[in-house]
Amino acid sequence: MTSPGDAPPVKPPPSFSPTIPRVASKARYPEHHDSSPPLESDLVDPSISSTPSLPTATSELPIRSASPHARSLRSSTPQLARSTLVSPLDGRFDGSEDIRSLIIRSFSPAVGVYASEDTDNLVREKGFKHGFWELIRPFGENVPGKLVIRDSVGSSRGWEDYGVRFIDLAGRDWDIAGAGQESPGQVEEVLQRQLNSVFLDGPLTGPLRPKESVSYPLASPLYKLFLRRLLSAASATPHETFRHPVASVIAISSRNANPLESLRQLYADTSNGHRRLPDWAHPEYLRYYVLVHDEDRDDIAESTKLFDQMKRHFGLHCHLLRLRSSQCVSSDDDSVQTPLCEWLSPSEHLMGMGEKETLVDIDTDGPPYLFDSDVVAIKSLVRELVAQSVIPFMESRVAVWNDQVASRRRGISGRFMSMSRRWAGFGSSSRSSGISGGASGNYDTTRGFYKPDAPEAILRKMADFAFMLRDFKLAASTYELLRSDFGNDKAWRHHAGAHEMCAISTLLNPLPSPAKFKLEGIDQMIDTACYSYLTRCSDSTNALRCLTLAGELLKSRGGSATEDAARWTMRAMDQGLVGPVGQILFSERISACYASRTAPTGAKWGSRHRKAGMWSLLAADQWLKIGKPALASASLEEAERFYANVLDDGIFPMPEMQTFVDNLRHHVRVEYLESRGLDTGENQSAPLSSTVDTEETSEKLDKRNHRRSLMGLPAPLDPGGLALASPKGQGFDGNEDQPNDDFERA
Amino acid sequence: MSYYFTILSPSDAPLFNIAFGTSKSGGDGIARFRFPDSAQYMNQFVIHSSLDIVEEAQWMNGNMYLKHIDTYPPAAAYISAFLTPSGTRFLLLHQPPQPPSTSSTGGSSLLSSSFSGASSSRASSSSVAANPTSPQTEEAVRQFMNEVYENYVKTIMSPFYRQGMEIRSPVFRTKVTAAGRKWL
Repeated sequence: MTSPGDAPPVKPPPSFSPTIPRVASKARYPEHHDSSPPLESDLVDPSISSTPSLPTATSELPIRSASPHARSLRSSTPQLARSTLVSPLDGRFDGSEDIRSLIIRSFSPAVGVYASEDTDNLVREKGFKHGFWELIRPFGENVPGKLVIRDSVGSSRGWEDYGVRFIDLAGRDWDIAGAGQESPGQVEEVLQRQLNSVFLDGPLTGPLRPKESVSYPLASPLYKLFLRRLLSAASATPHETFRHPVASVIAISSRNANPLESLRQLYADTSNGHRRLPDWAHPEYLRYYVLVHDEDRDDIAESTKLFDQMKRHFGLHCHLLRLRSSQCVSSDDDSVQTPLCEWLSPSEHLMGMGEKETLVDIDTDGPPYLFDSDVVAIKSLVRELVAQSVIPFMESRVAVWNDQVASRRRGISGRFMSMSRRWAGFGSSSRSSGISGGASGNYDTTRGFYKPDAPEAILRKMADFAFMLRDFKLAASTYELLRSDFGNDKAWRHHAGAHEMCAISTLLNPLPSPAKFKLEGIDQMIDTACYSYLTRCSDSTNALRCLTLAGELLKSRGGSATEDAARWTMRAMDQGLVGPVGQILFSERISACYASRTAPTGAKWGSRHRKAGMWSLLAADQWLKIGKPALASASLEEAERFYANVLDDGIFPMPEMQTFVDNLRHHVRVEYLESRGLDTGENQSAPLSSTVDTEETSEKLDKRNHRRSLMGLPAPLDPGGLALASPKGQGFDGNEDQPNDDFERA
Repeated sequence: MSYYFTILSPSDAPLFNIAFGTSKSGGDGIARFRFPDSAQYMNQFVIHSSLDIVEEAQWMNGNMYLKHIDTYPPAAAYISAFLTPSGTRFLLLHQPPQPPSTSSTGGSSLLSSSFSGASSSRASSSSVAANPTSPQTEEAVRQFMNEVYENYVKTIMSPFYRQGMEIRSPVFRTKVTAAGRKWL
């Protein structure tokens, strides 16, 4: 394989020698063109994508992966392995499909976990200090095997990547969760930490690490981390029900002296006791009873008897989970490391990072280990829970609500009668009608939510269920139905949420072609959602989520939608929703958006190489400013690749641009070498900057000769000069007589 | 409103450029871009990046004046383009002044606007300066482009000018400045 580790360790990063990568990218240009995969091929580091890694990678392709080299790259790039929080899930999908899947998976149903004291104690003995919830949480994020979901029309579709989110009912304070949104500052902080944890050790371990680790794909995992944290940032709020529990796992263990009674007690806690959901959440959700059997200490016969009893009492939603209670250490034969959670909220991430740092000291790094048999048991529990209980429950709720509430709603609106409701969908009818008239009166203005049994709340829940079941068509039409209701009630957060989700589900719906008017409608919705979130609710996290999702999904549509994507991403930057690192990531994202706009076949125009290049350069500049020369170097190289498509010899026609790029290149090079521990002082000035100088001056001379030959004569005297010509070029030592000054003055 | 005007040859080499500010509604004709002084190269970057759009628009459209073709939202920079029959591109970057809350528009105008704020804001909203996408602006830019084009043709007919050469005629520069003062 071509793991970058094979590369000679002292090879300078690509942007160090300005002429070479350009030549290479020139040569690569046709290849890039005829294969024309939208984005990933651009992001893939050239040295790897062009190597014979391809056939080996294809053999291990997962089902969905589209572009083999990117995958092989991800799995083999060392910095991914280093930032372990990012890596384990990255290899599965690719490109825009990857981001799409990420977005879809982020809206997965929440399942509460509420375990009895004895269960938690049992699990704590295994080394999970937060109890049962912590044990099963990572396994819920990816349900093994294919799940078949029926949508509202009755057609089934299988999903490989379905998951649920386990939330801890015991340790959750709903009232605080409802009010306090996590601020986007936290997402930014996560990024900072991640950056530092990846690069802090740079100078120390630097020489050991292959230089290719600075290649571009690093930015992509970082961006994905950002996306993932942003999407998990939302806590349960009244205005959307994605974080409201769809079901709840109630667990007792075989150690319990009085099992049925404690099950009843746990149920009572969640339904009307102190673990009750807040007023705005729908109180009816599925309960799933789990009996945890201790393999090491208890008798299986007793547990089976108890389990039979449970089944008689509670029906089908029961499971017997057989776990070993002794702690597993990594040296055991069949030990498996617990997978890492993919969907940590930013605050959890921050706490987790802190924990990890302390843990590293006492040499028990990483999550605890589990016995293989335990892992298999938990996986089958999750599979059974999701496939046989949660999804059928959600399907039936959607069907019931669709029949009872949604259709009645349409009846009230009074345009289309029952006849049309199954076939015409509600999309076309409701858009034209809307609920005329004022507020419905179901909205509790003082407390800011709808009661859970109000039709609006149920519709919203139904739409969210449909969305989580990935029936985007039904979801979009239901959100559309709700938009005007919320507007009439002046329930602004709900209003924004409905607009946002309507746009997103329309974009996720694969059926409609990207017709122009459709996109305009989406623009309108996104705009409204942002306005409502920002101006009326000052909820910047959700606004950021809305803009980011819109950008990503539009980008994955391709074609002219990519420009809209870039526009929305710029909007998010403009509004100041992201911090400095986020700004840079967004710059890179905009560059990627423009890069994915490909020219129509055979035409020389229509692509956006210059724009992509500009945004990459800006990103490089900003990386440099926050002191990450390795990343800056990667971005710079990326920019050069884009510009190689439009520039002759890589020389910018405009003098100030050329100066800027030369400066940038120089600084990136110097800072990169500094950060790698090379002596910056006299030592460096001797060997290094001599090469630097020769390279730069040769370029300059080239250009000047060229220009002189065009101009013929030196510039005529113009002592006054123009005021604006003066500030330029002065920062660059020794270049006062640069051609650009002549040029301005001429 | 600040302007940055560039003439580019068909192979993207710059033939002429000038930066100037508005002279309407009390402007003093000096460009004040939103980019910091150390980042004036951004003008060229923005113009250069809009060539992507120009290249596309020039084949979609039979007119010489391509109107407003591109925007750079982070700095609220708008690009208008004009094509000559030989493929030379005239690109005008225009950038409305920053809202007065963040930057002062000059001491004198601040004084005057303190008591006639309402009327001046209304006047400026209808003028070319405030609204870069309004039809008035499009029209003003068109007039400007046409006038520059006229002078450009006269200049390149000079026997000492060869195609692709940078235009260094001071007469042309004054003419462009005058056109800017007249229309923008």
